[in-house]
Amino acid sequence: MPVNNTITTFPPLAELTDERIIEVARAAGEPEWLVELRAAAWRHFAENEPPYWRRTDLSKFKAEQVTAPVGIQGTTIQSDAKLAAQGVIFTTLATALRDHEALVKQYLGTAVDPLAHKFTALHAALWQDGAFLYVPKNVAVELPLLAIFTLAEGNHATFPHNLIVVERGASVTFIEEYISRDVDDQSLAAPATEIFVGDNATLRFVTAQTWGKGVYHISSQRARVGRDGSVEWIALNLGARLQHVEAETTLEGNGSRVDWVAATFADDSQSLLTAPLVRHVGTNAESHLDFKTVVDDTGYTTFDGMVKIERSGQGTNSRLEEHALHLSPKARSDSIPGLQIDANDVKAGHASTSGQVDDEQLFYMLSRGIKRDEAVHMIVTGFFEPVLDRVPLEELRERAAAVIASKI
Amino acid sequence: MNTELMIKNLRVSIKDKEILKGVNLTVTPGAIHAIMGPNGSGKSTLAYTLMGHPSYTVTGGEAWYKGQNILELEADDRSKLGLFLAFQYPVAIPGVTVANFLRSAVNAHRAEDGVDPKQSSIPVAQFRKDLREKMAALEIDESFVRRYLNEGFSGGEKKRVEILQMAILKPNMAIMDETDSGLDIDALKVVAQGVNTLFSQQPDMGVLVITHYQRLLNYIKPHFVSVMMDGRIVRDGGPELALELEEKGYDFLREEGFSDAGK
Repeated sequence: MPVNNTITTFPPLAELTDERIIEVARAAGEPEWLVELRAAAWRHFAENEPPYWRRTDLSKFKAEQVTAPVGIQGTTIQSDAKLAAQGVIFTTLATALRDHEALVKQYLGTAVDPLAHKFTALHAALWQDGAFLYVPKNVAVELPLLAIFTLAEGNHATFPHNLIVVERGASVTFIEEYISRDVDDQSLAAPATEIFVGDNATLRFVTAQTWGKGVYHISSQRARVGRDGSVEWIALNLGARLQHVEAETTLEGNGSRVDWVAATFADDSQSLLTAPLVRHVGTNAESHLDFKTVVDDTGYTTFDGMVKIERSGQGTNSRLEEHALHLSPKARSDSIPGLQIDANDVKAGHASTSGQVDDEQLFYMLSRGIKRDEAVHMIVTGFFEPVLDRVPLEELRERAAAVIASKI
Repeated sequence: MNTELMIKNLRVSIKDKEILKGVNLTVTPGAIHAIMGPNGSGKSTLAYTLMGHPSYTVTGGEAWYKGQNILELEADDRSKLGLFLAFQYPVAIPGVTVANFLRSAVNAHRAEDGVDPKQSSIPVAQFRKDLREKMAALEIDESFVRRYLNEGFSGGEKKRVEILQMAILKPNMAIMDETDSGLDIDALKVVAQGVNTLFSQQPDMGVLVITHYQRLLNYIKPHFVSVMMDGRIVRDGGPELALELEEKGYDFLREEGFSDAGK
């Protein structure tokens, strides 16, 4: 259930200090190592210039007005009593910090670098919401586990931190969903998700962003995958005013693999950037990326995808695909697929297409009596279907389909 | 209401090249009417134009059906009026299953202005039953309902699914464009059987069968045969005309055509 304390916030960023952050963290009973991490992150934030992102326009974003919440205000964990019997921990990160401090300390900040840039530092200094999932070795969790993040009413920011640890031989599905109504003016959502997939472990990870209008979603995600470990990563990027997601899968172990799909839909004046990076470190690892993008109105998307194969990544097999569908002549999509290969025995390819709704498809459907609007709707839905079809939770699939339908 | 399809002096161009140069043809209800002709004579152009493909520009003439000049209608309205085109090259619609596509088409036909689509749409159980029966008759495996329409289908599978759509939508005037192309003899028999069954159930249906070869007409027996060459109908006749063409080829008509043109 959502924990709904009386809403208290930090002062706006323009007035916030490291002393105040330390004071709040200590008052919450956080361990000293974390208090220090937060303070260091804040100082990094305060002392550094904003990153230069060519395709993410933050000129209208008023950072100084952001007020971060104190305490958990928008985390809903759908847990199940049976999980505990299997030794599975699925709770808020704050609770895990209290009950399983050693585990949290071992992993926190070791996948997403808190000091990568100003926004990761801000996140590390201020996170309160978030989920912690720990699956012990050789445990298979059948039911998908869902964590929902919302913006508390009248709140201006949220910084959920999700820590997912799947031990050797274990398997689980974790879903993070970001959802809100439209907000007046602006809100900042700056989540981070750190994922650790052990040897022979399997994770299906669904990340669904359906924020309302006015939200700036600036997020970092990274999965580190062990030997013969496997990740299926399903991303839905549908909401927000602006999205900037930097996501990485590091295939550290030999024989590890990632199968990564995404559905991105920017309409109205949305600007949605996704930057997936696959880093091949282990030998004989496999990656397959298939990203689907639709743009309408004056929407703008960027696909900044990169596959890096390090010297150690012999025997890599990689394929990167991105397909964009334009519904309006004023909509734009930039595709920047990249491939960097430092090994000599690899298979790697990429494909990228961009086009409008196919006239022959449209005519075929019209010839069966289907109206033009509905035909376009079916074509767009069909375009996303291979991605939506993988979402393992029917209610989420329906929510996402409804959001897509409302945008066409 | 006049349920003849009456085509008068139809002229059609693609990118400024005239393909149909004044076609006159009447397809009567309750009749199977074959149009034969060599490649490039304009047969498929006629089919696409009657259904309303946007790449074909009508430069002259009319096509009347049920009191309307259908050339002025959008393709979806032509379909709702009772026209159907079985495509020579059916188009794949990725991500849209055969079942969902057909249900949308059926519901589009049932929809009425001012009526909540939920009120007019076909009950799911009834649709499934109808679909299952017609698939069985056309020897289409049940698994096809969940497959994406025409994606990865063989040539024969595509043609069967065209006939399936025709059987589900029950048009009053069906145009079949080179339905025999790419079919082996067994598939051809199944497809022809499907058309014949539908025709026997709906004896008022008009069928325009467009084909290059006489072979299909062994299984779908036409009442009338017209021959198209160089964008015009050059000869009308009965079933015997198809056999004559089979025997002599198109050349004898071409010679006649040229000698006619010279007069």
